[in-house]
Amino acid sequence: MLKKTILFSLLSLSLSGCVGLNTVSMTQAPAERDNKITTDSSSWNFIGINFSNVFVDEAIENLKEQCPTGKIEGVYTKHQTTGYVLVFKREVIVSAYCNEV
Amino acid sequence: MPIKLKNIFGLSLLMLSGCSQLHHVHIGEIDQSQGRLTPFTLKVNELGFDAAKVAQVGADVAKSASTSEDLELVAFILAVSNFGPKTGNPVYNDAYTDQVLAEVMKTCPSKKLTGLTSVREATNVGPVSGEIVRINGYCIN
Repeated sequence: MLKKTILFSLLSLSLSGCVGLNTVSMTQAPAERDNKITTDSSSWNFIGINFSNVFVDEAIENLKEQCPTGKIEGVYTKHQTTGYVLVFKREVIVSAYCNEV
Repeated sequence: MPIKLKNIFGLSLLMLSGCSQLHHVHIGEIDQSQGRLTPFTLKVNELGFDAAKVAQVGADVAKSASTSEDLELVAFILAVSNFGPKTGNPVYNDAYTDQVLAEVMKTCPSKKLTGLTSVREATNVGPVSGEIVRINGYCIN
């Protein structure tokens, strides 16, 4: 029974994922911060083998679509990697403010 | 075809296709209020080389024990001399990104830029890599 409990705990722990924060960046925050927009894009891989980083560009396109005629300011970008068992999720999470000029 | 040969062929293909690595992303402010935007991408690339890995591979495949030991020592010295915080493989030119701003300006005749995104990435093919800095952005027309 104890063996099964330990095994179950280890399995739960590995499935919950372990996050590594790669980079964080921020641009100047505007005075007007009413209209917040957020987006994220991700890419999954097996044992860290990737063939492209285009998921970053997807995040930018998503951000642009949410503010088609305004100014996107105060851009906060977080790049993180979540590791599961042999599988990794690379993710870019972006939040910003859309201000009409 | 024997299974071993098939495996080696498969692994070689995988290595040749290159493994992409993302180190850093910075997304800048995007101004879509001043007119039509024309996207541009600029890439600067430098050859990165992991000499310690090459020496280690050499040590692993060396036929004589003494050569293998010597190469392992070389690999150790190279690894120690490159020890410390680093991004990607070492390169032999520390100024390869210095002209990025000038190059960006050339791609945008109006000189009005927005949405500059800087990406630091690498493409690894065994011990060799392309250490890349990619700048995406928009030119306001």
